[in-house]
Amino acid sequence: MRHTKIYSRILLAALLLSAPFAHAGESGATVKAEELKAEPFRDAKTIGKLAAGDKVDILKKDGGWLQVKSAKGSGWVRMLSIRRSAARKTSAAAEVAGLAGLASGRAGTGRVVATTGIRGLDEEELKAAQYNESEVTLAESYLTSRADAQKFASKGKLAARKMDYLPDPAAGEKR
Amino acid sequence: MSRVTEIFLLGLALMLSLVTAQAFNLDELKSKAGEFKSKADELKKQGKSAGLVAYSEEEEAAIGRQIAGSLLGAAPLVKDKALQKYVNNVGRWVASQSERPDLAWHFGVIASNDINAFAAPGGYIFVTSGMYRLLGNESELAGVLAHEVGHVIRKHHLKILRQSQLVDQGGKLLTQQAGGNDAIRKLIGNGAEIVSRALDQNAEFEADRIAVVLAARAGYDAYGLPQVLQEIGHSSGDSSVALLFKTHPHPDERLNRLDSAMADRFDGLKGQALAGRFYRIK
Repeated sequence: MRHTKIYSRILLAALLLSAPFAHAGESGATVKAEELKAEPFRDAKTIGKLAAGDKVDILKKDGGWLQVKSAKGSGWVRMLSIRRSAARKTSAAAEVAGLAGLASGRAGTGRVVATTGIRGLDEEELKAAQYNESEVTLAESYLTSRADAQKFASKGKLAARKMDYLPDPAAGEKR
Repeated sequence: MSRVTEIFLLGLALMLSLVTAQAFNLDELKSKAGEFKSKADELKKQGKSAGLVAYSEEEEAAIGRQIAGSLLGAAPLVKDKALQKYVNNVGRWVASQSERPDLAWHFGVIASNDINAFAAPGGYIFVTSGMYRLLGNESELAGVLAHEVGHVIRKHHLKILRQSQLVDQGGKLLTQQAGGNDAIRKLIGNGAEIVSRALDQNAEFEADRIAVVLAARAGYDAYGLPQVLQEIGHSSGDSSVALLFKTHPHPDERLNRLDSAMADRFDGLKGQALAGRFYRIK
């Protein structure tokens, strides 16, 4: 019995650890015709072609690329050419709160507390909100200085680099 | 030509034509013209004080503080100091890559199951705990915060304030710090209504373009925000995204725009996702 418990804990730990990397079970479809690449970069060998609307299973993510499996083969495709069709995780708590909100007619008063103790945040509630000085003061107490942010970045091996802002692609169409 | 001047000239032309139709007496005409001129001067003065000229950085911070306080009145901070320090670290690092690195940037996670994020002038930025729970790594948090930083540095909310019903607002804004601010409350209305208002769609697309660049400049995987948009994209119909969907273009459309804007500019640019040190909310 004890062993079973330990094994199940190890299994749980393994699942939790792999969660950020695995996209198993997720699927999506291409929004435009795309090339399947052997590796996650533009100059990699093209190993297949997908048409717009082709269904894919998502295996892995690497920067702007997704490794996918499709009826036409497996390979890497640009993330922005794919739209997911299934959620990574359904937020059970959010759904409970949403349902509680509907059932209680929250929109009418903006004062009903959901069973979780946490409310949604709709227009009515924002309009009715009362200024809360102590919360602002608390929020301000967490300020990180520019220098401390730099230290935090270094710890994560984040190095600043130069890059220009992107032009608006729609700007050319106007006028 | 400023908008006030335009409106004034239009009004003057209209009224003069009425006057000439009515007044045959030259003296009367003269006195009317004088009246119009003083009216116009008054209007001009009001226009200036209503913020048709730029707000000072002090005024901007005071406006933002009032909005932040009202937002926090609707949804308080999650009481988890380590979490709040963590988002301030990530947020400040991202904001440091912008052209306003020295604003007093404040970030926070507020207790709400709604999936949303908010920015107020002066550098007050909040994400809901519902949004935070959707995130899988630090680069995704950086992307979401960077979008809001984009609104602040381009002063998108201040522009709304300037355009809305403010012409009757007189007097210079006071910048007292404690207890809320009556002059500012008059300006922005009650509560945190302004953050529930939709910005111009182009402002949202612009903030998205800024976000991926700030994330990349900060050393992160630039695709953090697109990843989050992918997540939110198939949540339509869920009540937790109702306000977000109402005030933003559909995530699919935002992804389309990002796709054309980013094109191959980020190819070969590796960044960190930092899933390992991402702070998991309790």
